[in-house]
Amino acid sequence: MNDDGETPARVRVVAPRNLAQRSPGPIPVAREVAEQTDVGEVFITSLIRSQLRLAVVVAAGFLLLVAGCGLLLALAPQLHSITVLTVPLPWLVLGAGIYPVTGLCAWLFVRSAARNEARYRDLIGEK
Amino acid sequence: MNPAIGYAAVAGVSAVTALIGFYGLRVSRTTSDFYVASRTVAPWWNASAIGGEYLSAASFLGIAGLIMVSGIDGLWFPLGYTAGYLMLLLFVAAPLRRSGAYTLPDFAQSRLQSRRVRNVTSALVVVVGWFYIVPQLHGAALTIRITTGLPSWVGAVAVVAVVCLTVMTGGMRSITFVQAFQYWLKLTAIAVPVIFVLLVLTAGARPVSDGGAAFSTTLNTVAPAGLYRNLSLMTALLFGTLGLPHVLVRFYTNPDGGAARRTTLIVLGLLSVFYLFPTIYAVLGRIYLPELATNGQADATVLLLPGRLIGGAAGNVLSALVIAGAFAAFLSTTSGLVVSLAGVVSQDLFGGTVRGFRIAAVLSALIPLAVALGTGSLALAGSVSLVFAFTASTLCPLLVLGIWWRGLTDIGAIAGMLTGGILCAAAILAGSRLASSAPASSPLAASTLASTQNPAGFWYQVLAQPAAWTVPVAFVVMIAVSLATKNRRPGGITRIMTRLHAPERPLGQATVPAVE
Repeated sequence: MNDDGETPARVRVVAPRNLAQRSPGPIPVAREVAEQTDVGEVFITSLIRSQLRLAVVVAAGFLLLVAGCGLLLALAPQLHSITVLTVPLPWLVLGAGIYPVTGLCAWLFVRSAARNEARYRDLIGEK
Repeated sequence: MNPAIGYAAVAGVSAVTALIGFYGLRVSRTTSDFYVASRTVAPWWNASAIGGEYLSAASFLGIAGLIMVSGIDGLWFPLGYTAGYLMLLLFVAAPLRRSGAYTLPDFAQSRLQSRRVRNVTSALVVVVGWFYIVPQLHGAALTIRITTGLPSWVGAVAVVAVVCLTVMTGGMRSITFVQAFQYWLKLTAIAVPVIFVLLVLTAGARPVSDGGAAFSTTLNTVAPAGLYRNLSLMTALLFGTLGLPHVLVRFYTNPDGGAARRTTLIVLGLLSVFYLFPTIYAVLGRIYLPELATNGQADATVLLLPGRLIGGAAGNVLSALVIAGAFAAFLSTTSGLVVSLAGVVSQDLFGGTVRGFRIAAVLSALIPLAVALGTGSLALAGSVSLVFAFTASTLCPLLVLGIWWRGLTDIGAIAGMLTGGILCAAAILAGSRLASSAPASSPLAASTLASTQNPAGFWYQVLAQPAAWTVPVAFVVMIAVSLATKNRRPGGITRIMTRLHAPERPLGQATVPAVE
């Protein structure tokens, strides 16, 4: 915010016409090398592979958990008779309990994905 | 209900939204260039804004309505709506931000270097947006009818008028502040009344769950959903979130890919908190307002419950609060969709001028209005889930394969999207034809269709919830056709993939000055 209280001239903001804009500023040499050499291609391929593996593992874990819940509910109706403060267990799990698990999966992924990227930065020699 | 409460709440929320839009716009002008400013939006603000745009009529009214009529089967909906963001985080968030694309067609074109893919994607985005706006307008129609007694069409027309006006005058541009405010307004509007209701009930020693009777399946008015329906619904909701145009636009305002991930993580938290409350409304509604489930007005549970359980002035204030929250939901989701649709339409049809943007905005709002006025209201959360099935079968494969697989070609992408889209739309149409051909008056016919035990019911479920098979088919077609057209892979694929996946330069080297 500017403090002197004067209003700057109005600037018309338009979306980029077609192709996406690159981030501003010069591209460092390390990045240039990483994009255009065979070694750089190996590095980026391995980064993509490790990120994809991570995403698939987390997704599979979560989906298995949800599918397991669904199957249990369908196959074991007696679970409904277990209650906490009159609320049946399946309602508690689906209505509240599963949300923190979702958040935990997401948090683990964010941490590990950032670690993969830090490793890539080390490889291409960026600080 | 006293109509004055409805008028006051609707007028109030419209005025506050317009005011914040106006002042928010001035603040954002005095910072610096819009793009620079938007690159420094903190994840918390961004996440609130995404939550504000995402929580629509289906979330605010529809989920409680579904749990009212179907009990525990309805709990899958909020779970799917939330966990969709987990999938978005895992497969799309950071790479999409790094692609620098502002809209999905931008992404498709820059990834596949093809104008044709851009056009197909644009058409799909517009269709998705239109059909997502229709349930919002149905929700507005319901709210206005229930709370003021005016005819249904007034609500839909009012939302479209307010949205057109604000979008066209620029008062409701994609200003993070307005939408962030909408999330907190909606959370307050749904949480405060039900907390008051719970306090009053416990203080008066009145039953909250009626000794567990509220959870009994005997209160359900629809047949239990089978395993197939739940599976297909979860497929649609988990993978449909990936392609919602108004959500994707917001990822562009993150500073970098890492911030996009943190934003998504916070969105998950915000949604998890919000979705606890519709369930509480529904449980209370099953005891105190069971007639809503039987007379087809279950979606009004959230609106009517506080006034019914708390009388007098306090009840009126709480009713006004929920009505305001509901109206905020229609306004924010509709305007978010109209803005993102208008961006796509104006770039592709009107050359990206400001006048073109305005024409496109009006078109994007009027066509769904015509559809909404011409069709009866389905259950809100149910009809939104069909839109999710459609995005999951079309735009989700494009994004996932485009980001993770270098073998994707333009022809493959088009073939996959068209196959998924046509199959999904045809199945939904055939399903609704089947449902309307059954004698609707007899509850037996309805339960026959809902049950997967007999063949007719099974096929109805397969058609009415198609995501479980259309999503895999779309993926398979996209991969197979891409493999068959290997020679059409875009050049410089390594460079494109590097841009999508390589982390940005460390913050110290950023040339953009931080604002604030």
